[in-house]
Amino acid sequence: MIHYDSFTLKNGLRVIFHKEPSSPMAVVNVLYDVGARDEEAQRTGFAHLFEHLMFGGSVHIPDFDAPLQAAGGQSNAFTSNDITNYYDVLPAQNLDTALWLESDRMLSLAFTDKSLEVQRQVVIEEFKQRYLNQPYGDTWLHLRPLVYKKHPYQWATIGKNIKQIKEASMADVRAFFKRYYHPANAILCIVGNFELETIKQKVADYFEDIPAQIKHERNLPIEPAQKKFRSKTLERKVPASAFYYAFRMGKRHEPAYYQADLWSDYLGNEKTSPLYIELKKKKKLVSEITAYITASLDDGLFVISGKLLDGISIEQLESVLWPLLQKTIERKIPKSSLHELKLKLQTSKAFQDQGLLSRAMNLSYFELLGSAQLINEEAAHYNEVSPESLQHFAAKTLVKSNCSRLLINPKKDA
Amino acid sequence: MLDRKLTPALQPIEQISFVRPTCLDLANQTQLYWRNGIQNETSKIELHFCAGTTATQPIIASLCAGLLISGTPTKSALQIQKALDALGAYYDVSLSQSEVIVSIYALKDQLVGAYRVFHESLFNACFPAKELQDLITERKQKFLVQKEKVNFLAQRQFQKSLFAHSTFANQLQLEDFDHVDFQTILDFHQKSYLNGLIETFVIGDLSKADIENLMVLLSQFGKANPTNTDFNWNPEQGAIHIELPKALQSAIRIGRPLFNKTHPDFCDFSILNTILGDYFGSRLMSNIREDKGYTYGIGSYLVEHPDFGYFVIGTEVGVDTRLATFEEIQKEFIRLKTELVPTEELELVKNYMLGQLLKSADGPYAMLDLYANVMNYGLELDFYDQLIHSIRQITPLRIQELAKRYLNWEEMLIISAG
Repeated sequence: MIHYDSFTLKNGLRVIFHKEPSSPMAVVNVLYDVGARDEEAQRTGFAHLFEHLMFGGSVHIPDFDAPLQAAGGQSNAFTSNDITNYYDVLPAQNLDTALWLESDRMLSLAFTDKSLEVQRQVVIEEFKQRYLNQPYGDTWLHLRPLVYKKHPYQWATIGKNIKQIKEASMADVRAFFKRYYHPANAILCIVGNFELETIKQKVADYFEDIPAQIKHERNLPIEPAQKKFRSKTLERKVPASAFYYAFRMGKRHEPAYYQADLWSDYLGNEKTSPLYIELKKKKKLVSEITAYITASLDDGLFVISGKLLDGISIEQLESVLWPLLQKTIERKIPKSSLHELKLKLQTSKAFQDQGLLSRAMNLSYFELLGSAQLINEEAAHYNEVSPESLQHFAAKTLVKSNCSRLLINPKKDA
Repeated sequence: MLDRKLTPALQPIEQISFVRPTCLDLANQTQLYWRNGIQNETSKIELHFCAGTTATQPIIASLCAGLLISGTPTKSALQIQKALDALGAYYDVSLSQSEVIVSIYALKDQLVGAYRVFHESLFNACFPAKELQDLITERKQKFLVQKEKVNFLAQRQFQKSLFAHSTFANQLQLEDFDHVDFQTILDFHQKSYLNGLIETFVIGDLSKADIENLMVLLSQFGKANPTNTDFNWNPEQGAIHIELPKALQSAIRIGRPLFNKTHPDFCDFSILNTILGDYFGSRLMSNIREDKGYTYGIGSYLVEHPDFGYFVIGTEVGVDTRLATFEEIQKEFIRLKTELVPTEELELVKNYMLGQLLKSADGPYAMLDLYANVMNYGLELDFYDQLIHSIRQITPLRIQELAKRYLNWEEMLIISAG
């Protein structure tokens, strides 16, 4: 059980406080309800570029990082297709420094041309380092548009291409800030050894005078159900063929999410899983294979990916893979296996919950999903999953017509 | 009314408490270090073996580490893995130059059971031929993928040149995968695992009976022979560039032999290193990322081994800014050698380092890592008190003196790939 208190300021800022008496450190986590899915198709990569600019100084403070470091702390952030999440970890006695910094950049950024110019360049290098100059690095740049035709999940958080990042202008930056960076679009979570009254006072001191704005209503195109198998093949300078089967599934807040999570663990997350045993150990078709889900707020993906062994064709793989998926659907998972999956999950959650930062991020994320209280209801949701509900999920999801396949083959002349 | 231009007053870090684990002596002369009182359900056991890549050929060390629970005369790899799954346990192996660390994570009531599964598998390991072949095939493919990465190529060349003329320069080669000798693996398992235990760490609120059971099992290992400590540096110097015509970025490694935490200059140098490249506001980050935009990230590190240590700067930059990056790094060396670090910057770094130390001592898991980190060098937890003392006392003059002594461009090995 994770105990917490929550309250909302007049300007709409939602605040969660979780007391942790045993740690000398504090975490301040600020989640903004904006991600790559909120970008325009002609200005992709913007939410992430913007995240970089948030460290370039704010209206009253020229440099974000230096005061935090001087307080013994550290900060970072990440952007996903759904959210942008900022966090500060610092000695608890210097909590004020983090609140001062976070509230000032929520109030207004410094917006300097130099900062925009440099961060554009830094993000372009990040684009190269993570997506273009790595074997298999551009997978998701191609898989997303294969699966999503309408919904903005069709581009990755880094953006569609370098050109769009180069084109980002100061006017875009200002407009983006105005629309998404304000109290009603944020969730603040504080973890540390404090009293609730102190937190209420401090949060009021730093955040209450930030002007309220109306939360932008999200109206994203809905991705129509997929009717036919899709496939795309790329040739790259890679040593082995890699395959990605992406099956459409539902949203993070739906009950089927828990079925999907357990089913991906069962199917391909371990050396005891059917995919591993059949395709790697018995039939010797692949060198590696795994299954996982994207856990996104709008309709997500259930992915099976791996690499073919030398001399094995994709047809050979599929002559085994499709019947195998069918078989796992027809035969219900044994109760004992399901119990083991839940036990492993319980172990990993127990380890995860030890971290202050992990708790702060999860509380914020669950608040976005509907209520921070969900953090304490997760275990029950997993427990409710039955062999029947898993079978139902798999039968609905893991069918060929619901699937998009990306293949990355070695370039023949290379 | 809040004045937003006013920086909130900072409260100094007065004290960081370091907690020693309980040390239990086993019949085989090794120690079990146990940390309890953690007040949650988690637990972990970590065994350190003298089975790193320099203890044999790199391919043998790598395959042996990957096959520890791959089968016994009576149990298959699958049965062993299923036994761990049934306890909700996670198993992990990490291989470095100096050692292998086997970690098992489980809820505290399952830890001894999970350890028993591992223990029996390890002691009866027979390295089934088909498991060995599968692993060779998998590792070979992974190796080929690695060889496509500029980072991997630069790191490999850096290590090869830095450790020239020593066993540390031996690296895995593609052809090694085709010449694996089964008997060598068996012998290595016998010598470096069954008779190669260095020490064990346990964390978790286990019962006395659980600990006693573990002690009995762990006593069945033979103790590792002390490692060879007559390591001598004989590095290559100068610049090597690996040209890859289609690369978009170049990976860079610049470094030199240095020392580990047993050296009297270590603490002070680690402060200099932080200023240069070990935090987000460092000189290298401020200049090469935040001013020039040449890279997504750049850092400098002190890498330690029980017998030695070295200094290295690592980054990936656009191919057309590789030479400009070299120039800027040189400029930062020169600045540190010719100009005193401003008081404000030094104060910031001091506070930052103390805050990070406080964080790395937060919680029993982190604390046990800190302990292992000194114990492996024959030191005690008072090392951290010395580090705190160094951080509080160091002067700009002392930093300049160290920069003059250790940050000379002509003494660096300069590697790039891309």
